[in-house]
Amino acid sequence: MNGLDQWPEKDVTTWLKEQGLVEYSNQNWNGYKLLRLEKVDFLKPPLSLVTSDGGQQLLDMIETLKIEHHIEAHKNGHANGHAVPLGGKARGNGTINGFRKEMVQITMPEPERTQYPVEWAKTGMAFGYALCCFVFTTVMISVVHERVPAKENTPPLPDKFFDLFNRVEWAFSICEINGMVLVGLWFLQWLLLKHKSIVGRRFFFIVGTLYLYRCITMYITTLPVPGMHFKCSPKLFGDWESQMRRVMKMIAGGGLSITGSHTMCGDYLYSGHTVMLTLTYLFIKEYSPKRFWWYHWICWTLSVVGIFCILLAHDHYTVDVVVAYYITTRLFWWYHTMANQEALKKPSMGNFFSRVWWYRFFQYLEENVRGIVPRKYHLPIAWHQLPWSHVKYSRLETQ
Amino acid sequence: MLSQQPQGEGDGVMAHPDEGADDASGLTLSLPSGDLNSRSGISQHRDYVKISVPGGRRDPLPMEWWKTAIAFIYAAFNLILTTVVITVVHERVPAKENSPPLPDKFFDYIDRVKWAFSVTEINGMILVGIWGIQWLFLKYKSIAGRRYFFLIGTLYLYRCVTMYITTLPVPGMHMTCAPKLYGDSKAKVQRVLQLISGGGLSITGSHLMCGDFLYSGHTVMLTLTYLFIKEYSPRSFWWYHLMCWLLSAVGVVCILIAHEHYSVDVVVAYFITSRLFWWYHTMANLQILRCSPNNYLTYTWWNPIFNFFERNVQTEVPSTFCWPVCCPPTCFKNTCKKYSKVQSTREE
Repeated sequence: MNGLDQWPEKDVTTWLKEQGLVEYSNQNWNGYKLLRLEKVDFLKPPLSLVTSDGGQQLLDMIETLKIEHHIEAHKNGHANGHAVPLGGKARGNGTINGFRKEMVQITMPEPERTQYPVEWAKTGMAFGYALCCFVFTTVMISVVHERVPAKENTPPLPDKFFDLFNRVEWAFSICEINGMVLVGLWFLQWLLLKHKSIVGRRFFFIVGTLYLYRCITMYITTLPVPGMHFKCSPKLFGDWESQMRRVMKMIAGGGLSITGSHTMCGDYLYSGHTVMLTLTYLFIKEYSPKRFWWYHWICWTLSVVGIFCILLAHDHYTVDVVVAYYITTRLFWWYHTMANQEALKKPSMGNFFSRVWWYRFFQYLEENVRGIVPRKYHLPIAWHQLPWSHVKYSRLETQ
Repeated sequence: MLSQQPQGEGDGVMAHPDEGADDASGLTLSLPSGDLNSRSGISQHRDYVKISVPGGRRDPLPMEWWKTAIAFIYAAFNLILTTVVITVVHERVPAKENSPPLPDKFFDYIDRVKWAFSVTEINGMILVGIWGIQWLFLKYKSIAGRRYFFLIGTLYLYRCVTMYITTLPVPGMHMTCAPKLYGDSKAKVQRVLQLISGGGLSITGSHLMCGDFLYSGHTVMLTLTYLFIKEYSPRSFWWYHLMCWLLSAVGVVCILIAHEHYSVDVVVAYFITSRLFWWYHTMANLQILRCSPNNYLTYTWWNPIFNFFERNVQTEVPSTFCWPVCCPPTCFKNTCKKYSKVQSTREE
């Protein structure tokens, strides 16, 4: 501190000018006075007239100056017996060997929140929600199966498409193969996305909600089988065990006829196959580069052919498919518009979108996502993301 | 023109009276100058100056009645189309002996009550009447009317599609369907006219045809009218909104109690109506959505029609009311703006 105390006025003025505090430069302070400045001095004239911030900036800089000088003094072996802020005891001998080579942790300010935070917890929740909805759907199908009227008693309802096109037997396999291909493609694409967690969260939420709606429509009114070709499993009146087993079998097979797991009838309004075909196509198109138009075309064709084959196979009524398409597209566009516009994430009088029942859940999932999720890709396993690698800092050299 | 000289240099502000023109782009202003104490002895100069404000803004809520007329024609067309489709579908409804009513959860719990459907239709008529009166008193009738007609038209159009592609059997053995007219076009046209003239209501005896079950037109009317009543009335009228909500909810429940529609018809109708209403109004009210590139709301097929109707509407339509006859406001009223007279003194 000796050095600072001895500073002549000229040096102080130079220092003030260097620090950009020219407003104080004509106060004629010397080092001694500078060090003894306090906040109260800035409350009265003449300092109160020149200072713009109550002298705070100047006082901070004086503190920094003190610390710098202290380090220098310490380095030069001056031991004046007052407290060393750097840890370690002051050594009286003043030799350079006494200087401790300590490293100091400088706390960096918190890094800025990223625009697209990876919050896997939320994705996990969305996944749990989707899983619940799937299981619930399966249970519901099992329940509804008991109430489907026998096809002898209630013949299939008149349907315009069925009048125009006769049934083609193998068409439903095409639909399911297309569905599996689309889901596989979407999964691969999802793996390559950079913002996996956000996109995954959206997919799970939308799928879950669509299947939840489906549970409701399936349950409240039961449509009869669309064709006499249907082979429905026999009803198990009240036999819970077998019903549970059926539910498990269906979940294990993914609800597809091709795996032999879908032998139950009654889940017609609305069509789950259409939902999956449409939704995977929408997601594939949304989260892939615009210039891959051929890719989008292929997926669109797969989707449309799949949906057409559902009807061709007389496996669903036309109204099931139309309603499924409508609900899927509307929900997808609704969700994504809300997610992309900051203005819609806050409830307001003009924002009718906030009146949907899932708005709070949506806010929870999307509140930290700022802006439109960019289409960026990278390999799923990147070396620098492995947990055991961390950045090494080289030790600071001291003079 | 405003000519102002600094104080003490001569005259104060020179001004000219504004002769009564209700010019939205001009301001009339008079500035005091000099010593107000000298008011009494000096002859009063009532001079006002018109400051022309550049670029008068377009009216953010233009009336455009012709667009409302187009929307009305669209709605009328769709209503007639619905009637025709009902007549067509009626021919394809399976006889209730062959195709018994489908199992429905609501019907399992609640037995049929005969007079419930009249309650629904009375509620519907009351709500439509209330909405009609409210609409008459709205200031921005044309915009609200346009939206109402467009939404009704679109909902009935969707209904045509769903009714036609798959025909549900009658929900209850109590339903008496008129006999089928195989190919008798004249009688079919007569039925269509009868249905239109009765407004499609059973209470007027016009709705004898079956097959229009998915989805329920009664639910659409009840829900949509309530949504419009609520949207275009002051927020503080909570009792009014509650009353209309009750009418609407009771009406919808009575449809089911009367076993006139399946539950899925009502649920789907509510869902489609509310979503379409919210979608349309959010797009119309939030201006930033219109210009934003990632607005998926524009992917609907009716987006061009929406743009046509709402292009010049730039703000949210406020719920202001006025007497039906005297809007637009340029009749009978003296449109001079009065400003308090300010003394301008002349100084030497």
